[in-house]
Amino acid sequence: MKLYQVVLKDVIRRKRRVLYATLGVIIGTATVVGILTVANAGQARIYNQLEKYGPNLAVIPAINSMDMKLGDVKLGMLAVGENYVSEEKLPQIRQIADGEIRKALKIDDEGNIATIAPNLFVDTKIKDTSVVVVGIDPAEEMKIKTWWKVGQGKYLEGSDQALAGSVAAELLNLKVGDVVGLDGTNVTVTGILEETGSNDDYQVFVPLATLQKASGREGLVSSVDIRALCNACPVEIIADGINKEIPGVRAVAVKQIAASEMGMMDKISKFMLTLGGITLAVGLFGVVNTMMTSVNERIKDIGIMRAVGASRSQIVKAFIYEAIIIGIIGGILGYILGTLLAYIAGPLIFEGTTVVYVPLYLGLALGLAIIVAVVATVYPAYRATQIKVADSFRSL
Amino acid sequence: MLQLKEISKIYGEGETRVKALDKISLDVETGSFVAVMGPSGSGKSTFLNIIGGLDRPTGGEVMLDGQRIDDLDENKLVDVRRGKIAYVFQQYHLLPSLTALENVLLPLVFCGAGKEDEGRADEILNKVGLGKRAGHKPGQLSGGEQQRVAIARALVGRPTLILADEPTGNMDRKTGNEIMKLFVQLHKEGHGIIMVTHDPEIAGYAGTTVFLEDGRIVRKTNKKASRTRKNVNKN
Repeated sequence: MKLYQVVLKDVIRRKRRVLYATLGVIIGTATVVGILTVANAGQARIYNQLEKYGPNLAVIPAINSMDMKLGDVKLGMLAVGENYVSEEKLPQIRQIADGEIRKALKIDDEGNIATIAPNLFVDTKIKDTSVVVVGIDPAEEMKIKTWWKVGQGKYLEGSDQALAGSVAAELLNLKVGDVVGLDGTNVTVTGILEETGSNDDYQVFVPLATLQKASGREGLVSSVDIRALCNACPVEIIADGINKEIPGVRAVAVKQIAASEMGMMDKISKFMLTLGGITLAVGLFGVVNTMMTSVNERIKDIGIMRAVGASRSQIVKAFIYEAIIIGIIGGILGYILGTLLAYIAGPLIFEGTTVVYVPLYLGLALGLAIIVAVVATVYPAYRATQIKVADSFRSL
Repeated sequence: MLQLKEISKIYGEGETRVKALDKISLDVETGSFVAVMGPSGSGKSTFLNIIGGLDRPTGGEVMLDGQRIDDLDENKLVDVRRGKIAYVFQQYHLLPSLTALENVLLPLVFCGAGKEDEGRADEILNKVGLGKRAGHKPGQLSGGEQQRVAIARALVGRPTLILADEPTGNMDRKTGNEIMKLFVQLHKEGHGIIMVTHDPEIAGYAGTTVFLEDGRIVRKTNKKASRTRKNVNKN
């Protein structure tokens, strides 16, 4: 028989008492797990919302500037490289982006994952007014610009159609159904976008193929916007991969959005952790209290153990074992209770959030609960060793 | 084996000062069976607790096998408790969550004994007549049976001296006599026993009886010699 078995048997006999002592740990752990689970769900939701704010990768033609010199005479700068990205490179870009995402998420999905939207910018004239016409892949573009709303008419459905930004429509006096000439090709205005507050308001959008044909830039695009659909998508790695594998293009991770996402989450996490820490501290005092009661209840048992040869450190050990048992029970129950709380409170805090339980937090809950229970037991256990054996019997 | 030199124990201070023991001196030879008698409050239990290192005297010396134990620090006292001395209490003091066998094993848990020693627990439980009740918890045992478990627990560490504080105090006479027969047997086997009791019949089982009154030894009788020496303390 070992000391821990003696403790375990005693705990089983006093199960109600022990469960009561565990309450403090359960409440503390449940709060922390609940907060973290809700925060986790909120984080996922924030990421989802942030993802709506456009692409997180842009692929543009690689253009290098070169100083032109003749002897000591500077002749200015010369841009070296292509002005366009060949459309033939799109499948390769997709392969790299999807491949890296699959690696990061450990999935084997065969379908397309990332949204890849090519753009062709052409500065041209409509009704004798200079305007930037953008060739787009209508389906992919809509996935990136989720905030686009068609105010009048319909979204692009086929070739030889045009979608006008709100300001462009006003300046060019465009209405749904108008047919306008575009470098010799007639396109029909099918819809006008609501104001977006971005450059899009000043532009006219037509299907990529239509613009390529009209402007004589077949097979060419100006840039490619990529949006990876997940929180953990390895944007930087995708950019590196594209830069290494595909010559003539430059992939840039859009860091601004990532940085703001991180900043926001950082603040939320800090706040949540502070809250969790306070709860744990309160729980700690609760456990100290119940453990003190436990010591007082068991003065006689401690006296018996001392009388038959237990040393002070063995008494402390016995209490630490009990604390570990309390920690394990408290950790498991705290995790379950905290997760349940999160399921109830989550949707109230972050509207429309789906809370998902996090198995990883079970480990965290166990660790926290055991640490709290053991720390809370140190002082009561010390008190227990200070009891004089003779006194422990006399008081009865 | 055991020598007490002018042991005093004083509780409280000033006006409320109580002298529980007042300069008691006593020699106990190895393997002897001593009964300590006296009215309530005469200091019997304090006397026993001090001998066993459960309590500390405020004055005097306790020597066990030539080693002074009254001034040992806690850790060294633990060694004394694990080896030479074992207790049997009036209230049995068994752990309620453990079975009879486990209670007997308890001292071995603390001194880190091996498997062979654990096998002995069964043997001892048989010896005190409780082999069949090894799996019962204290709550399922009668007072006499619980005391047998407590005696078995005292024996498992092979003590040279057993200290018993009113071991039959909670029993009817018949059960008490059975327990005493067990003590007599242990004495024959070579264990030294010091037993506190207020019952003359129970004290009659011992070889030597010491009478305490107001913290002093007032009389000491030796059964075999049938000799009474009065007021040893005053000599």
